[in-house]
Amino acid sequence: MRALPGLLAARAPTPRLLLLLQCLLATARPSSADGSAPDLPFTSLPLREEMMANNFSWESHNISLTEHSSMPVEKNITLERPSNVNLTCQFTTSGDLNAVNVTWKKDSEQLENNYLVSATGSTLYTQYRFTIINSKQMGSYSCFFREEKEQRGTFNFKVPELHGKNKPLISYVGDSTVLTCKCQNCFPLNWTWYSTNGSVKVPVGVQMNKYVINGTYANETKLKITQLLEEDGGSYWCHALFQVGESEEHIELVVLSYLVPLKPFLAIVAEVVLLVAAILLCEKYTQKEKKHSDEGKEFEQTEQLKSDDSNGIENNVPRHRKNESLGQ
Amino acid sequence: MARRTEPPDGGWGWVVVLSAFFQSALVFGVLRSFGVFFVEFVAAFGEQAARVSWIASIGIAVQQFGSPVGSALSTKFGPRPVVMTGGILAALGMLLASFATSLTHLYLSIGLLSGSGWALTFAPTLACLSCYFSRRRSLATGLALTGVGLSSFAFAPFFQWLLSHYAWRGSLLLVSALSLHLVACGALLRPPSLAEDPAVGGPRAQLTSLLHHGPFLRYTVALTLINTGYFIPYLHLVAHLQDLDWDPLPAAFLLSVAAISDLVGRVVSGWLGDAVPGPVTRLLMLWTTLTGVSLALFPVARAPTALVALAVAYGFTSGALAPLAFSVLPELVGTKRIYCGLGLLQMIESIGGLLGPPLSGYLRDVTGNYTASFVVAGAFLLSGSGILLTLPDFFSCFSTTTSRPQDLVTEAPDIKVSLPKEGLEED
Repeated sequence: MRALPGLLAARAPTPRLLLLLQCLLATARPSSADGSAPDLPFTSLPLREEMMANNFSWESHNISLTEHSSMPVEKNITLERPSNVNLTCQFTTSGDLNAVNVTWKKDSEQLENNYLVSATGSTLYTQYRFTIINSKQMGSYSCFFREEKEQRGTFNFKVPELHGKNKPLISYVGDSTVLTCKCQNCFPLNWTWYSTNGSVKVPVGVQMNKYVINGTYANETKLKITQLLEEDGGSYWCHALFQVGESEEHIELVVLSYLVPLKPFLAIVAEVVLLVAAILLCEKYTQKEKKHSDEGKEFEQTEQLKSDDSNGIENNVPRHRKNESLGQ
Repeated sequence: MARRTEPPDGGWGWVVVLSAFFQSALVFGVLRSFGVFFVEFVAAFGEQAARVSWIASIGIAVQQFGSPVGSALSTKFGPRPVVMTGGILAALGMLLASFATSLTHLYLSIGLLSGSGWALTFAPTLACLSCYFSRRRSLATGLALTGVGLSSFAFAPFFQWLLSHYAWRGSLLLVSALSLHLVACGALLRPPSLAEDPAVGGPRAQLTSLLHHGPFLRYTVALTLINTGYFIPYLHLVAHLQDLDWDPLPAAFLLSVAAISDLVGRVVSGWLGDAVPGPVTRLLMLWTTLTGVSLALFPVARAPTALVALAVAYGFTSGALAPLAFSVLPELVGTKRIYCGLGLLQMIESIGGLLGPPLSGYLRDVTGNYTASFVVAGAFLLSGSGILLTLPDFFSCFSTTTSRPQDLVTEAPDIKVSLPKEGLEED
């Protein structure tokens, strides 16, 4: 049921009158896409023609403010398809509700029509409805309540963010690598890849089996680059196109040559060779010493046995002589 | 020259402990941290994770199945040349893997080549360690095996750092250089001058004598059952935690906690095994039973504190049983058959290690959660510990020494004959 245009002013004349009118007009509410909308005193819904004709889904969002809210309250909303949007701000204050000035702005320009204001008790409600068809309608929508201070609530509409890799992708000359871009729960119309040549973005064309673009699911895209050269390194951009905007992500590719890890490898191999040589030489050295001392011990032992056999007094003389002969 | 009839229990033995420490770090630490490479391999080759996991599975399988070969060779040539060759093979495998263009290439280079390299290093080293220690054998083994725990700690972030700077090819190249240190560790393995040392009969004779040795066979069965349940938490704990809605970071932290208590368990158990009189088998049974119980309790625990406590308990008890499992062997078969015995043991118990995780995974697929897997793992451990009861001297009050008096008497004529050979062998 369509509300009478005469009743729909940009600003309600008096909150109480509007409330009375809304109580008289009972209209069925279409289902809201966002189920978090609280129970609002608006029972009549100003439906514009476009909103009636299209079959876009509804997005409803709500912000609550009080006179004591110190920080600006923001709500980030991710949107990828054209939608009908229903934004509500509620403001609770102990002062006079009539003295509050309510405005809506998109980015920084004031919106003239299409919003409703009503009040219950000590809370002021304002509602703004519009349709997002393309990127022009995306942005920041703010509701302002001005008493002495201005309280502000902002709804930020953004396209879904893309996730690439935070760290650079490292690969080697002659290898092939795959750059992936994906976004959660989103279905872009189109994916494109760009490579940067200095500061110029050049779209990546599918040339000669070097570049292959495909993706297993709608929410991801993969760029496969084969036969890498050192020049292929650099910044790559993946670009997702939605009906309501574009989103892009940056991926860094580094192409190394084999010499880069080879140098530390050779250094470590040299170190191991030295270590093994040191251990084996050390052992040979201690063994030689052991053998010398062993030989000396053996001679002493044989001398001991011989001296035990022979008589006591004559021991010294033969022993010395024998030692000398052996020593030579 | 005085020949020792008892193992020295010190001296150069501690250097062997150090060598074994680094070797277990370089073999098992690398294997356990290989998970870091998996993500890269999956991305680089576009293959499923299951097919990529075969790389490590083949490596572990070859390492364990090839242990008898390593043992047999070290009985013949001594541990040093065998371990050094193993180190070269392991490093070569990694080096070739860095040039891989397909997954099969990796199966062959890391799985087969590095795996056989690892097979030639681990069993001979532990056997050599047992030759150097008798009274403090458990402590020495425990200290040596702490290398596994510490390296799992250090290597995982280190490999991650390598990957972020050199990608997988460069990282494999550098891990190959790291594995080359196995050669240096092998160089440290001086064969001890033990009277019992000369191999009585060739490897084949030892093998047949072992296969007829009742207690040894029972011990092998017990360890195989233990092995079946042992590895399951390492593989499936994180997945189980994620089933309970844990975040990846706290889950990894829980694994680290288990790893630390594993480390402590190894050292404490090693010390305890030597300090407590009586056969080591009793302690082994105690730790195995406790591990089985803690495993079976895992599905019951829901609260984070209970899970942390169980993780600590599991880590401690499973770490505790590791060094004892190796110390019991010389008591059973004697130091002269230690090389062969260890190799054979590793080969047979690897069957358990290979079958356990897939069985656990299969139970998970069939029942939908890990309750059955953990309970079955606990059951395997408990049955293994039950078989330990049947080992000889379990109920005796005295511990068996490695050299029984009757062995020495029969050996006496052999000693004189083999002395000149020993002198030549030492070079």
